[in-house]
Amino acid sequence: MKAAILTDTTKCIGCNECVIACKKVNNLPPDAPRRWDRDDGLTARNWTSIVQGPSDSFVRKQCRHCLDPACVSACPVGALTKSPTGAVVYDSNKCMGCRYCMMACPYGIPRYEWDQVVPHVRKCILCNDRVAKGLQPACTEACPTQATIFGDRDELLSEAHRRIAAEPRLYHDKVWGESELGGASVIYISNVDLGFLTGAESLPATPVPTTTEHAMEAVPFAFTGAVAAMAGINWIITRRMKRQTGGPDE
Amino acid sequence: MNRLRRLKLVLWSITGLALAVATARFLFGLGPVTHLSDAFPWGLWIGFDVMGGVALAAGGFILTATVYIFHLERFHSIVRPAVATAFLGYAAVAVGLLFDLGLPWNIWHMLVFWNPHSPLFEVGWCVMLYLTVLLLEFLPVPTESLPKLRKLYCALLKVRLPLVILGIGLSTLHQSSLGSLFLIMPFRVHPLWYSPALPLLFLTSAIALGLMMVVFESHCTSYFYGREPETDTLASLGSVARYFLAGYLVLRFADLIIRGDAHYLAAPGWHTFLFWLEVTFIAVPALLFSLPRVRTSHSGQFAAAFLGVAGIVFNRIDVGGLAHLPAGAPFYFPAWTEIAITAGVVSTATLVFLFLIERFNVWEQRPVDPEAAPLEAPRFHPVGTTWLGTPAVASRTIYSLAFVLAAALGFALLAPRPAFSRGIPPQPVHRARGGDILWIDGNLNGYGVAFPHAKIEAKLGGDSSCVKCHHMNLPRDRNSGCYECHRDMYLPTDAFRHDWHAAASGANLSCNQCHTAAHPRTASNVKTCGQCHKDLIPPGATIQVKTYQTVGYVEAMHTLCIGCHVNLARQNNKPGFAQCTTCHKEPRPLDDAAAQPKTTGVGILLPAYAPK
Repeated sequence: MKAAILTDTTKCIGCNECVIACKKVNNLPPDAPRRWDRDDGLTARNWTSIVQGPSDSFVRKQCRHCLDPACVSACPVGALTKSPTGAVVYDSNKCMGCRYCMMACPYGIPRYEWDQVVPHVRKCILCNDRVAKGLQPACTEACPTQATIFGDRDELLSEAHRRIAAEPRLYHDKVWGESELGGASVIYISNVDLGFLTGAESLPATPVPTTTEHAMEAVPFAFTGAVAAMAGINWIITRRMKRQTGGPDE
Repeated sequence: MNRLRRLKLVLWSITGLALAVATARFLFGLGPVTHLSDAFPWGLWIGFDVMGGVALAAGGFILTATVYIFHLERFHSIVRPAVATAFLGYAAVAVGLLFDLGLPWNIWHMLVFWNPHSPLFEVGWCVMLYLTVLLLEFLPVPTESLPKLRKLYCALLKVRLPLVILGIGLSTLHQSSLGSLFLIMPFRVHPLWYSPALPLLFLTSAIALGLMMVVFESHCTSYFYGREPETDTLASLGSVARYFLAGYLVLRFADLIIRGDAHYLAAPGWHTFLFWLEVTFIAVPALLFSLPRVRTSHSGQFAAAFLGVAGIVFNRIDVGGLAHLPAGAPFYFPAWTEIAITAGVVSTATLVFLFLIERFNVWEQRPVDPEAAPLEAPRFHPVGTTWLGTPAVASRTIYSLAFVLAAALGFALLAPRPAFSRGIPPQPVHRARGGDILWIDGNLNGYGVAFPHAKIEAKLGGDSSCVKCHHMNLPRDRNSGCYECHRDMYLPTDAFRHDWHAAASGANLSCNQCHTAAHPRTASNVKTCGQCHKDLIPPGATIQVKTYQTVGYVEAMHTLCIGCHVNLARQNNKPGFAQCTTCHKEPRPLDDAAAQPKTTGVGILLPAYAPK
C-alpha cells in the first residue's frame, strides 16, 4: 500500500484539531511566533497548519511527501529518504545541517530549529511509525469532518475524481498532487485554486530533481574529459618542445 | 607606520572581533547570531564565503594549467602565489562552511553516507579532494629549504603533473557543480538567473575570475610590500580574461533569449536592477582589457581586475540568495555578526598568506616588513651607561593588543543581544476590554476571544468565585487584570518589584530578609513570594504561584481555561467543548462591524485598526 492523504478543502472548518493531534502524537512543545518563521504557520514545532486561502477557505498545509522528492535528491548525506510506505522521513543522526533540503523543496516545507544549539530539520513524517503499525496518521484520525482522510494513494485518487465528478460545479476540475512535479502522496481537491501554496501559477509534470540528476550524470564524463584533455595537451606540448630543443641532433 | 603594518593591524582587529562572534555562534546556535530564517535558510556564509570563495580561488587551477600543462614559462613567477591563494581560499571556504552547518561536527558524514544524486555531495567531495591536492601542490614551497624533508620535496615534484591534472579535473567539476546546486530550485531562483546552463555559465565565469583574481591579488600584495607588480605578465592574463568575460556575456544573453525569458531584461524591478548591475560589472572589465593602453597600465589593470572580480562574485551572491524570489517572509539581510564572521575568515586567510610570503619563497624574492622588528633590548651607549631609549614597540605587540581589544569589543557588543530570547520578539500585552463580555486580544491582532465574564462568574459561584481565576492581586487591589503581571504575549516577565520590597523593609540593611543565603544573592537563590505573603494566593485559587516570574500571556490564558474545559468535555461527553474554535470563534472579528463580538455590557471599546 502507498500511504496517502486526501484533503478536501470544501469540508475543512478550520478547527485546528489536526494541528493539535499532530503536536500531541509527535510530542511537539508549545510554540510562540519566532523571528525566523514563515507566514504560513508551519514551524519546527508545528508540522501541519491551517492557512486561509482565497475566499475564506481553509487549506491544511503539510509535507506533500512527493513521489520523487526534491529534498531526498538534494540531501548530500541521505538523511532524508522515501520510506517504503510512501512517507519522506528524516534521520537526524545522519544530518549535518546544510539545509539544502529547505532550499530545494518546491513547496517550502522543511523547517529548522534555529533556536537550538544542536538543530535539526523538522517536518511532517506522515506518522510513519503509526502507519507501520497499521494505524492512521494523527491528523486524519482527529479530523471531525473527514476533510482530510488517509488511505491508499490509488483509492484516494479515484475517490477524489469521484467527488469532483459528483459535484463538478463545486470543485475545481483538478486534483492537486496527482501529477504535477511527478505527483505527491498528499493530494488536495478544492473549490479554490491552490496555486498559492507554491507561488507558481502552474507546475510542470516533471519532478524537480530531474534537472540536477541530469547534470550529475554528466559529472564522470566532464571529469574524464577535462583530465584527458589536459593530459593530451601536455603530451603534445612536451613532445613538441623536446623536438624543438633536440631538433638539430636528429 | 607603513601601509603593511596598518593592513595587518586592521586584519588582526577583524579577526579578534570574529573570534568573539564565533564563540557566540557555537554557544547559542545559528538563530541568535544570524538573520537566517525558514524562508532564507542560506545567507551570507553560503552566498559569499562558499560560492564566492570557491570562485575567487579559481586562480589556482588556471595558473597551474597555464604553467604546467601549456608550459608558458613566463607565468612561472606568479604560479606560486596563485596556488597559495587558492589553497587558503579553499581552506577559508571549508572554515566558513563549518560556521554555516547546523551540525558542523557531522561534516565527515559526507564521506560515509553517500547520495550521488546530490550536487552538494559532489561539491563537498571535490572541495575536500581539491583542498588536499592544493596542499600537495603548495608543499614544495615550505619544504624546499628544509634539508631534512628533501625526499618529500623530490617526491612532491615528481607527482606534480598528475596532481595538476587531477586538480584541474576536480575544479572543472565543482566550479560547474556550484551552478548545478541551484538547478533544483526552479521556483526559487529568479528566471534571469535560473537556467539549465548554470553549470556552464559558472565554469566560464570561474575561469575569467581566476585570471582576474591573480591580477588583482598581485597588485594588492605589490602595493603593500612596495614592489613592482609583474605588469607585462599580468597584461597577458588580462587579455585572455577578456575573451572569457565576453564569452560569458554572450552565453548569458544567448541563454536568456533561447529560454524565452528575455522579456525580464526590461521588466522594472529589483531583480532587473541586480542583473544589469552585475552585467555592467562584467562588461566594463571586458572592454578595459581590450584597450592595450589600459591593459598595460598599472591602474588600468587593477581597476579592470577589481571590477571583474566584484562582478562575478556579485553573480555568485545573486544566485546564492540575493536574486531569489520572496518567500512569504521579510527579505534576508545579514546580521552584523554574520558579516563579522565572513570578514574574520577572509582576514585570517590574508594574514596566513602574508605570513607565507614573508616566510617562504612564494615570490622569487622574499619581501621584508621593515618595521616588523622583534623585541630589541634597550640600547646603551657603548662607552658609558647612558640609556639611549627603548626601541619602538614591536609590531606583534600592537597586533596582539588590537586583537584582544577587538575581541573584547565583540563580546561587549554581543552581551546585550537577546541571545536567550530564542527569536521570540517582545509583544506587550494590552488589557482586555468590555463589560459582561470581555474582548481578550493581548497583541491586538484581531484573533482573540470574546470571553463571557459574567456568565462564567455566575457558573463558578458568583461573587465569591473571583479567586478561582484571579489568583494573585497587586497590593490594595481586589481583582488585578491578567495583563498587569503577564505583560508579554510569549516571554516570561517579572511580577516582582525589587525597589518596593527594598524600600519597605529597610533598604540596604534588609537584604538578608529575603536573600537568606549570604551568597550568591541571585534571583534563583531567594525566598519565594508566598513565604512572606501568606495571603497572596487566596484559598481556592486554581493556580499556584511558585516564582516571581510570570509565564507569557498566551500560556497563562490557555492554562487557566483549557484545563477546566478539557475536564468538562470529558465529563459531559461533549468533545466540541475543548476545541480551539470553542473560544476562538471568529478568526477575524474586526473585518467589519457586523462580525464584531456581541456584548451585553457597557459596550466593547475596540480600537479602530485593521487586521494585518
